[in-house]
Amino acid sequence: MDMSNPAVFVNAEFLKEHVGRKVRTVVQVMQSDGDKVIGKSTDEKELVVKGNPPNALSTFVEVIGIADTIQSIEAEIWTNFGDTFDVNSYDKVCRLANGDSKHLFI
Amino acid sequence: MYGGNNQFDGNAAFSGGGFMPSQATQTVGDHSFSPAKNRDSQTLIPLTVKQISEAFQSSDDKTNFLVDGVDVNNVKLVGILCNKVERVTDVSFGVDDGTGRLDCFRWVNEAVDTKEMEAVTNGMYVRVHGHLKGFHGKKQLMAYSVRPVDDYNEIAYHFAQVIYVHSYNSLRKQHDSSSMPSQVPSSAFNTPLKGYQASASNQFPGYSMDGIRGVDKMVLDYLQQPSCLALEKGVHRNQLVQQLQLPSEKISEALDSLESEGLIYTTIDEFHYKSTGNG
Repeated sequence: MDMSNPAVFVNAEFLKEHVGRKVRTVVQVMQSDGDKVIGKSTDEKELVVKGNPPNALSTFVEVIGIADTIQSIEAEIWTNFGDTFDVNSYDKVCRLANGDSKHLFI
Repeated sequence: MYGGNNQFDGNAAFSGGGFMPSQATQTVGDHSFSPAKNRDSQTLIPLTVKQISEAFQSSDDKTNFLVDGVDVNNVKLVGILCNKVERVTDVSFGVDDGTGRLDCFRWVNEAVDTKEMEAVTNGMYVRVHGHLKGFHGKKQLMAYSVRPVDDYNEIAYHFAQVIYVHSYNSLRKQHDSSSMPSQVPSSAFNTPLKGYQASASNQFPGYSMDGIRGVDKMVLDYLQQPSCLALEKGVHRNQLVQQLQLPSEKISEALDSLESEGLIYTTIDEFHYKSTGNG
């Protein structure tokens, strides 16, 4: 078992608390360049995701990587989550995972 | 379904609590549960790898783990598959759910198992069900089901479920076995449900201030449940008193009133009633 590298569930709000750590979040792709993606977080704020996005991006993408600033993530893993996604539920889980239920996650 | 190994251990085979493991091998001597204990300890609990890392072994020699005071045997995880290594009789892999990475292995005795494992590859989100095992101090998951996640809402759902079950079990642990205030949703979880039977009464409308009419409806609703309709001799009057927790006179009045309206009838004797409707 390897507990050394957890990724914290974040939205734009919680990203600020975890700068420098490995995080995971889902963004809605608004704009995509070669080396970065501008996305809308699950709490409706803008986030920048840097790295090597895959060629074909679906509307919603999960990114796992290091939070390098309060508004951007250096992504290592990109996973297409499809074109429909319940942003609300994911956001609620983020809040719980950073709140009362934090001990279940990190 | 149980082929591959010649020993058919009835106890282990039917102790799946809804899941029938395709491998009949239960290598770590966990055969001899008593039937009552079997049902309780074979529930399926959604967990994070972090929770598993903190689970401690109960004092049994049965290598059971405890999480939030609950015996954990069957575990459900959702995470990214990694380090997949295929061998002749088994496949080992890791599941990384963001809280940690757990080592897992799956026996592949039959074509069904091999096929299932071929469908999952490194980097893919999977849903894994398995038994938690301790091996030389290390925890491992002996998986019996590994399936790709198709709808990514499942991730949020799984973690929400983890949080819920944790709250439920922790509160239950605090209150010992006093039944939960009626927040328990009906059938979503297979958490050990000793307190659940007691909450069945919460399904019925509260005692109505309309007097007779309210009680009539309660009695009729009860008798129209599929489980009661299925009983050939119907339901005894005393059972109604007990289940609906109402005074015997009120029940009697309701029964007489319903009977005179042709909504219920007596069966083997004057104490057993059945609904005339099909519910």
